[in-house]
Amino acid sequence: MREITLSTAVNEAIAEEMRRDETIFLIGEDVAEAGTPFKITSGLVEEFGTDRVIDTPIAEPGFMGIAVGAAMTGSRPIVDLMFGDFIFLIMDQLCNQAAKTHYMSGGKLNVPLVLRTNMGATRRSAAQHSQSLHAIVAHIPGLKVAMPSSALEAKGLLKTAIRDNNPVVIFEDKLMYQDKAEVPEGELLIPFGVANVKREGSDITLVGTSSMVQVAEKAAEILAAEGISAEVIDPRTIVPLDMDTINTSVRKTSRCIVIDEGHQSFGITSEIASRIMEQSFYHLDGPVIRMGAMDVPIPFSPALEDITVPTPEGVVAVARRLMAGEMINVS
Amino acid sequence: MSHDVIMPALGMAQDSGLLVSWFKQSGDAVAIGDALFEVETDKATMEVEAQHAGFLTQVAAKSGDEVPVGQVIAVIAASQDAAVPIASVAEEQPPQFAAKEDALPEGQSIIMPALGMTQDTGLLVNWLKQPGDAVSADEVLFEVETDKSTMEVTAGVDGFVAALLAAAGEDVPVGHDVAIISSAKPETLMQRTRGDVPTPAAAPSLPATQSPVAPPPGDLKRTEKRQLQPKSSRILASPKTRRLAYERGLDLQKLVEAGHVQPYHVSDLAALQNISADTPVSIAAPALRRLTAKISAVPFGEIMSFVSEKSSGPTAGAVISGLAAGAWASGGSDLIVAYRHFSTTQLFSNPHGIGLGKALPDQANVEAQLLINDLRQSAISSIENCSDGLPTLTILSQGDQFSFTFECGAGQISADAALSFLTEFAGRMEQPLRHLL
Amino acid sequence: MSPTNPKNNSDEYLRMFRQMVRIRCFEDQANQLYLSAKMPGLTHMYSGEEAVAVGICEALKVTDKITSTHRGHGHCVAKGADFKQMFCELLGKEEGYCRGKGGSMHIADQSNGNLGANAIVGGSMGIATGSALSAKRLGRDDVTVCFFGDGATAQGLMYEVMNMAALWTLPVIYACENNGYSEYTRTDEIAAGSITARAEAFGIEAFKVDGQDVLAVNDLAQKLVARCRKGEGPFFIELETYRYHGHHVGDINREYYRAKDEEKQWHETRDPIKNFGKWLTDEGLSTQEDLEAIQAEIKADAATAVAYALEAKYPDATEVDMHVFVETA
Repeated sequence: MREITLSTAVNEAIAEEMRRDETIFLIGEDVAEAGTPFKITSGLVEEFGTDRVIDTPIAEPGFMGIAVGAAMTGSRPIVDLMFGDFIFLIMDQLCNQAAKTHYMSGGKLNVPLVLRTNMGATRRSAAQHSQSLHAIVAHIPGLKVAMPSSALEAKGLLKTAIRDNNPVVIFEDKLMYQDKAEVPEGELLIPFGVANVKREGSDITLVGTSSMVQVAEKAAEILAAEGISAEVIDPRTIVPLDMDTINTSVRKTSRCIVIDEGHQSFGITSEIASRIMEQSFYHLDGPVIRMGAMDVPIPFSPALEDITVPTPEGVVAVARRLMAGEMINVS
Repeated sequence: MSHDVIMPALGMAQDSGLLVSWFKQSGDAVAIGDALFEVETDKATMEVEAQHAGFLTQVAAKSGDEVPVGQVIAVIAASQDAAVPIASVAEEQPPQFAAKEDALPEGQSIIMPALGMTQDTGLLVNWLKQPGDAVSADEVLFEVETDKSTMEVTAGVDGFVAALLAAAGEDVPVGHDVAIISSAKPETLMQRTRGDVPTPAAAPSLPATQSPVAPPPGDLKRTEKRQLQPKSSRILASPKTRRLAYERGLDLQKLVEAGHVQPYHVSDLAALQNISADTPVSIAAPALRRLTAKISAVPFGEIMSFVSEKSSGPTAGAVISGLAAGAWASGGSDLIVAYRHFSTTQLFSNPHGIGLGKALPDQANVEAQLLINDLRQSAISSIENCSDGLPTLTILSQGDQFSFTFECGAGQISADAALSFLTEFAGRMEQPLRHLL
Repeated sequence: MSPTNPKNNSDEYLRMFRQMVRIRCFEDQANQLYLSAKMPGLTHMYSGEEAVAVGICEALKVTDKITSTHRGHGHCVAKGADFKQMFCELLGKEEGYCRGKGGSMHIADQSNGNLGANAIVGGSMGIATGSALSAKRLGRDDVTVCFFGDGATAQGLMYEVMNMAALWTLPVIYACENNGYSEYTRTDEIAAGSITARAEAFGIEAFKVDGQDVLAVNDLAQKLVARCRKGEGPFFIELETYRYHGHHVGDINREYYRAKDEEKQWHETRDPIKNFGKWLTDEGLSTQEDLEAIQAEIKADAATAVAYALEAKYPDATEVDMHVFVETA
């Protein structure tokens, strides 16, 4: 099977959908000729024209609000938000308007909009360009949240998002744009709310999101050499969240670590760990451990930045202690 | 067509307004926009205008009244013929109290609620509403003290307190009436104590509207003091371990006793399984102590022959129990011995463990602490595990020797005491005269 | 007032009159609902500004879109909404336009092109502009009117979207209802410089008009709507108007920020309904009796609708978690 980069996968998804449905358009900063700074949308303006690939001024609340209004009146916009950190700028349009319009109108108005943005640290981009803010968005009823962990998910989840009639926020890990993965030719739609068991195991469950799936897989390799069999699960979407797959796994292994690049406190790991505790309590042979990014603004210096995010070695260390039945106080 | 004049909504946080003064009198003609009355609010005094034209009638509030928002305080009638005036809010006479023997006022009965599985009565601590007060369904009406804590009980219905049927400090059986709430403001009120009524008022059954309210979190400090059961020391184990142990009938306490380090995980269950397999499950068969001794029977035989020639001499039982009591370290208190010879059992009392035992009458209501099985003349040559709970001393004859077997439960007598007892007894039986005198 | 052809448009004029009266009657009833403590929450009265909503909406088709504000009943009625469903929505009843889930501040009437009132000041400016983008992209000749108040000119979003509307020549009309007050503060204390100049800075043609003169408003609106359909938009209108009530229905003691004399002045000399009524009778297009009859009839309609809404049922509890998401087929 062919291998393509995550960037190409996203490009393909957008192009295929725009060919299929002419109400879809792309809007954001530098999305046209420049193809975004990450060179993801290159080639699209040449095929679809400036009517459908629209460059905006640096006015995030403005073009987000415009996208919401366009979505309410028959268009299907894909909004490109250059850095996930800028979500804070568009919160009113995203959370007060887009998320709530269907509900506040008693089901009469829809907002079929996709917001594509990114996450992930260790790029030396410092505190305001390195955040992973999916937890903040997942907290708002009315928004769906997808987190592709490879080129395959990037294409399949984006296409599903574009066809969804709800506002969907997709977070791509900005460090993965050049990573390749096997992506089949032809139509590829990955459903929301279905987790993927990436590696089977029997001793411990590792739930990871986005690039943390790769971290978990590397940890699983190391653990396997020590005779510990780890199962790796990629939820793929946070809203909706597939707890059935996660619970089945935890009930099999009775131990779990949840790994995510959002901050340690009050985030995705806390939610998933809580749900596992509630739903699989009597099957747990140890506490569910959360591993997120440190509760610090992401530092610039490489010496500091790299220690703020979970690593395979870190996961392995926690897994060993869980297997040994030690009391772990992560806090 | 007539229109109500109401106390209008006045601002976001206000529930009532103070009516300062009327600009129109009952019977006056009013036009739309005329100022009718002045209201004082948090911020200022404002005028309320007439929304309809007509004649002002049925003025039901006067200057100085605090009127709830939304309440009708007058009517603008189409014509001047006034309708029946309604009672003014403030001109109402204070409600009268009925005599305690009078019939109960109309309304919903409020009962002492069920408080817990073993409780029949609740101590009514205090009332939070008084007769005549308005009350809403989820307001607290009274507080009850139970075994464990003080609970708040809500009214359960909207209305006015028409009667209180128990006083603070009284015990009220569960299900009995404690109050009556009427839907309209009552004209007569009643306040009684349970002491006023010789017979209970209502059958104990819970109406659907009322349920006791759990003490709010703020009360936790008060209730904690009343906890009776002490906290047991917890065993730390994972939920899965506990569940599997429960399912398999295993007791985690055994792991603790066996010295396994906590917290316990599923992998510890294998060890627990082994421990449980070793110890049999039955409660009976405690560990037994068994001691034997042999002495020459001759000295005792000579004494007994000498004694039996005398008509009033002591019996063998008295002698043996006296010697046994002397050997028993009973700290100077009485040792009751059951002496069994052939098929009869005689109780002997041995105060201070000195001298001969004193035979007790058959009806004596005492528990023996030591059983002596005198099998000297029987054909039994050895026994084992033949005690039925009491420490048992068996005397057997073997030629010209006595064989003593002493058996007792490990928990009844310490090893040292058992050794000491049998040694002493054997010694005394070898030189009986010396110890009896 | 100087309409182009009085006699031919008498039906339209009477319709304008009726619509303004409908708004006034609706607001009077809504105010009463609040004062008699029957309405949950708060609402914001449009009374006094009728000519703005009616003048503009009478120039629009059903398929044209509007976005509204927290002071949105006027726009909603003017764009064709039904009394019963509006009152039901204000009271949180199931038959409301939004099944009781939006309330006064989020009332939306999608079938009449009303994309919704918005509780965020300036919050619907992006939506209006996006609606215009959709129309242009999808080849429809819809025009979108964005209603907002003078207070919203303080929001950054307004400048962002006007900039893009101008860059992309979108068919949107920004209608600023300047009623002199931004909540409890006078406009001249919150808006520096000129409001119309703000739009002109983006190269957007901006107009000022007397918001109490329904004919002047309508005349201007018709011209600009026609130009929008030809792709000449966007446009900006500043309408000078006045709200009779306080910022919201509970804002009753307001002398500390607005003089009673000023209010009286506007009531007596600048009332849009009274003045238009006078014009109609002066021009011989109607009589005093007829106008009064219209007012009485509409008043009765409103009373009936309110009575209906008060008795109507609330949505079932099972609806609480419906419509969070659109069900994907």
